[in-house]
Amino acid sequence: MATVSATSATFGVSLKPCFKNNQVTGGASTLKMVTAGWTKNVFPSLRNTRFIVCSAAKPETVQKVCEIVKKQLALSDEIELTPESKFAALGADSLDTVEIVMGLEEEFGISVEEESSQNITTVQEAADLIEKLVHKKA
Amino acid sequence: MGASSGPRLSGMQKQVLGLYREFLRAARSKSAEDRRKIESFVSAEFRRNSKQVDRKNFIYIEYLLRVGKKQLAQLQSPDTVRLSSLDISVSETINHKP
Repeated sequence: MATVSATSATFGVSLKPCFKNNQVTGGASTLKMVTAGWTKNVFPSLRNTRFIVCSAAKPETVQKVCEIVKKQLALSDEIELTPESKFAALGADSLDTVEIVMGLEEEFGISVEEESSQNITTVQEAADLIEKLVHKKA
Repeated sequence: MGASSGPRLSGMQKQVLGLYREFLRAARSKSAEDRRKIESFVSAEFRRNSKQVDRKNFIYIEYLLRVGKKQLAQLQSPDTVRLSSLDISVSETINHKP
């Protein structure tokens, strides 16, 4: 408990004064306040981006998209695809991108509008759009 | 970073990609065997032109788009099962064996 309150005190100093006041009151409440401060103040950008990545598309969808992209571009199995992989960086031109989107449409039984299909550049973007469309359909 | 919404495409590029999409869509309605042939033919045509045609040659690209739209309309008819071309550059690549 001592160590916990010690670390929380150092965080508390770097936070706003209003947190400092609460800090003195007691062990349990200090802990609470600091965790609250953490999510809100200390690592805002990190927290937020993590959250978007996790909640936007299911891992299965991302996985499936990766498979289709690999098949469509005839990539070897050694090449690792991440959600951030750009189609262009994998050697895809705009015609390949059209083919990828058509392949995804068939796999997931959805229909992607022309406008949005031309804006997809990464696996993540594709997965996000698919989730959105699948939800809409359901 | 703001460019993450995709590559900037010109109106003409969008038209070409849209046409390619429609071709692939039309191919879906054919039998598996015909579909495969149509897809490889269409893909080869688009790729060949994308390499051969000068991207500033708007008049010629407009012409190709018009031709493509007509071919697409024919392909969309349920009776059509095959596309072929008598293009010289295509037949050149075929080696006639004696």
